[in-house]
Amino acid sequence: MTIADLSSMLFDRVRDLSALCTRVGELSDEGIPFVLLAGGTDWMVEQEMREPLASDVFPTVIDVSQMGELRGIRLDGDILRIGAATRYLEMRRHPAVLERAPLLERMARDVGAIQIQARGTLGGNIATGSPAADGVAALAAFDALVVVKSRRGERHIPLSELQTGYKTSTRAPDEIIVAIEIYLPSRNATWFWRKVGTRKAQAISKVALAAIAEVQGGQVVRCGLGMASVAPVTALLPRTRELFLSTRLDAIDDFMIDKCVESDIQPITDVRSTGPYRLHVAKAVVREFARSLGAA
Amino acid sequence: MTAPNEKEPKSAGVVGKSISRSDGVAKVLGTARYVDDLPALPGEIHGATVRSPVPRGRIRSVRFDPSFDWSDVIVVQASDVPVNVVALIADDQPVLAAKQVNHAYEPIVLLACADRRKLTLAKLAVHLDIEPLVPVLDVATALEGSNVVWTAPAGFGEPNTNVVKRYVLTKGEVDVDAELARCAHVLSGAYSTHHQEQLYIEPQGVLSWWDDDGVHLVGSMQCPFYVHKALVKAFALEPHQVDVAQAVTGGGFGGKEEYPSILAIHAALLSRKSGRPVRMIYDRTEDIEATTKRHPCLCEITTGCDADGTLRVLKMRVVMDAGAYVTLTPVVLSRGLLHAAGTYRWPNVFMEAIAVATNTPPNGAFRGFGAPQTIWAIERHMDALAAYLGTDPMVLKRKNVLVEGDTTATGQLLRTSVSSLECLDKGSSASRYVERRAEIEKENRRRAQRGERKRLGIGASIFMHGAGFTGSGERVLQGKAAVDLLPGGRLRIRTASTDIGQGTETVFRQIASDACGVAVEDIDFAVPSTKVVPNSGPTVASRTVMVVGSVVEACAREIGDRVKTEQVEQGGTFAEAADRLLVKEGSVTALHQYEPPPFVHWDDEAYKGDAYPCFAWMCDVAEVEVDLDTFETDVKKLYLIGDVGKAIHPTMCKGQLEGGSLQAMGWALFEEVVWKDGLIQNPRMTNYIIPTALDAPVFDTTLVECPFPYGPGGGAKGIGELPMDGGAPAIAAAVEHATGIAVHHLPLTPERLFEASLGRLSPTSTFHPAA
Repeated sequence: MTIADLSSMLFDRVRDLSALCTRVGELSDEGIPFVLLAGGTDWMVEQEMREPLASDVFPTVIDVSQMGELRGIRLDGDILRIGAATRYLEMRRHPAVLERAPLLERMARDVGAIQIQARGTLGGNIATGSPAADGVAALAAFDALVVVKSRRGERHIPLSELQTGYKTSTRAPDEIIVAIEIYLPSRNATWFWRKVGTRKAQAISKVALAAIAEVQGGQVVRCGLGMASVAPVTALLPRTRELFLSTRLDAIDDFMIDKCVESDIQPITDVRSTGPYRLHVAKAVVREFARSLGAA
Repeated sequence: MTAPNEKEPKSAGVVGKSISRSDGVAKVLGTARYVDDLPALPGEIHGATVRSPVPRGRIRSVRFDPSFDWSDVIVVQASDVPVNVVALIADDQPVLAAKQVNHAYEPIVLLACADRRKLTLAKLAVHLDIEPLVPVLDVATALEGSNVVWTAPAGFGEPNTNVVKRYVLTKGEVDVDAELARCAHVLSGAYSTHHQEQLYIEPQGVLSWWDDDGVHLVGSMQCPFYVHKALVKAFALEPHQVDVAQAVTGGGFGGKEEYPSILAIHAALLSRKSGRPVRMIYDRTEDIEATTKRHPCLCEITTGCDADGTLRVLKMRVVMDAGAYVTLTPVVLSRGLLHAAGTYRWPNVFMEAIAVATNTPPNGAFRGFGAPQTIWAIERHMDALAAYLGTDPMVLKRKNVLVEGDTTATGQLLRTSVSSLECLDKGSSASRYVERRAEIEKENRRRAQRGERKRLGIGASIFMHGAGFTGSGERVLQGKAAVDLLPGGRLRIRTASTDIGQGTETVFRQIASDACGVAVEDIDFAVPSTKVVPNSGPTVASRTVMVVGSVVEACAREIGDRVKTEQVEQGGTFAEAADRLLVKEGSVTALHQYEPPPFVHWDDEAYKGDAYPCFAWMCDVAEVEVDLDTFETDVKKLYLIGDVGKAIHPTMCKGQLEGGSLQAMGWALFEEVVWKDGLIQNPRMTNYIIPTALDAPVFDTTLVECPFPYGPGGGAKGIGELPMDGGAPAIAAAVEHATGIAVHHLPLTPERLFEASLGRLSPTSTFHPAA
């Protein structure tokens, strides 16, 4: 419960990514707690909410928000690479995003307030690992790859293999999220975004669905789904996705969709919403997506 | 409307013009100093509160961790309080809990330290050993009464029960049941409402220090004299030893009516013990957890009417949840009861209103003060009755609406300024209610055929709000105000009515300007400080403009007349005459006291008579769109037709109606205090959800001016609370029109609409979400 701790913490910046890898590696070796500060939109709130810390356990805070190698958006053929510390507002305004990945632009519009969008980053969204993260749901729909780097080198983790449970992941503590890579769907692919919160903006999702699909001759040939706030991790709805990929659109009906969604998620009741309502809405938004594709 | 910067000729009438707010520039530029912005006083330290983690329990011990360095931490406990009582109505609330805690977050220990970080660590080093007792957390259990959790102080409540207050109100036939039996149609229903947090933008905060004169306190508050009274009592001081001043205040909505008293005592206790100035500023979480909320309420209604829908009998029981202590509950319950019959003509009435104690934080003042709860019930019941009779609700309401010459449930003859019918008709025409209803039904059928999942709906409410204190309250209160003549023909208004963002300063200057002919720029507004201003009564009950404003008007008129007399006799300008008068008399001040209209008579024993000098009337018409998949309700349009008597400042007047309606919309659709075992689960702005600008409907607001002859500026009535009363039932009626789901219990969250759509939530099955 204290912002007062902030003045006692060590805030640090490093020269570049390679120095950051070294620094993070050393801190890990020595068992010193550390935090990489990107937008800080989650972390600052956590500092305010938690109990005060005894001074010997203050984390070292490394500010990566200005690090050039973690920022920027680059389109290389059909691969869109977004630096981990790129802000939502930058995504909303970038021509490559607007043209090739409008789902990301649409999702980013619904993230917090404009002030949050001006600070918040996809890398931070992935690192904090909240299942309510709108950004991660959108990346899931693209089957994005998360690029991480450490002293041991760089590797690409498919988003589907990243989250292992509530705020846990396969990323090692010293692996820094560097970028997100998206293999873009074709230009005529259908995309879908629907966020259901308590009000029209500035509310954490009760349910949010991000989806993309490429359809050829009445058959879905590429499909990705990401749903926020219905499971301990971003829900990928594997059975629902399999339904879309395995069945011609004109043969998919609401009943089939409902069955698949029910077997994919068992949402809980918490302070924001109830389990039954979430399941009901989850089914409704997937049906809406299916209708947008021309399903029966 | 006049452009704010339009140059008016000096002393031309400014009432009725939307002039620039006198507090506007400082607030926009950020130079206005709220209590947390005031520069630190020499030696100032910060205060904090250690609170109960359980809703009910016996305090076995309070242990201070011996390994912690307490040398520079000031500690205050119950034994340090000279008189351990927060002075209000029943004096049952301790300043600090001594032996027992009666609600979660009840204050037990106060700490102060110069180092903020150390202060937060010190809070963790206080170990409370509390033996938990079985709490009562909802009204039904409290009323059932096998677990009595409240001790009635002498002269209050009903011994050996949880009943804090009970009123009975009757009219017409003594045997209403027999009268009901004679009615063509009888309908019963139960309707409930939930907690609401005021969520003013600035959390509670005060700064206190002592010197040879006594105790000084500056803070965010509505009622400096309430705080004054509480400090006098708790420290057993003489009134002149206590000096309370309002800092610039960022909203109150009733939340800063009574609560600042306890916070003021806390800061003063720490300051007295430390010998240093102490500032206490709540953060949002502490503010939501510890401070008052709107009383949850359950209303059970049985009505009888003739075959043609003419209302005959109203039988009603109103039950409110007081929380753990009495605070202002008897008055809230009274106002709730006095508005429970709605705007309708009832020849026969039997109403009982009961408030019960529970082990939840005390509920208190909130815009509307009990009326939104009971108006929700009666308006929803009228909608249900219309459905039962197969008629349109507006037709049924119009048929029975009170008009001039009618008597209310308390037998009050409505003599003047009665515009309920006018508001209702204007609401119908402005919204094209009848045509829109037909259009919407056609559109909904079209959408259904196309498989679209959104539905439109339109619904209305008609309601009123009594301005000023209830019954004999104003006569007892004797609210005073003063106006001083200053050199150069300037004036200074001195009242205890605080500007908490609603525009008091501006409106009082407008009223005074027209009363005496001095330009608004030449009229000052004294900071409401108990050392400087007379006791005008509290800034509550929609009484500031209508009651205190009329006293300001009388004072300004007197000063103006005296200067003009001097001018006529000796010549010169107004300013010159004023200066001569000041030289002659030393000081020139007019001090007046409020005098209620002569016809106002109220019998507290029988609960009959003129409950209020007058009522403001209003009609809301809501258009909504409901998503049948997600059950999200989008309020597209709100037509507001409000009779304000006379709009002193039309823009702010509309602002009150629209802002209050938005707050009502939040209460109806989004806001919900989530409880678990007596603790609040969502004490943050990220999960206690209020509407944002994006959620706001398009407002179509019409000011009706049906003057109240005793109101200032040509007939102004009190309207601050009015709009809070009718938003929820209008929206619920529109949702019912859109979906067919008749919700009787607030809030209409998507989750509850979803449950209701499945038939799981019957209209009477739930009350009070405490679990």
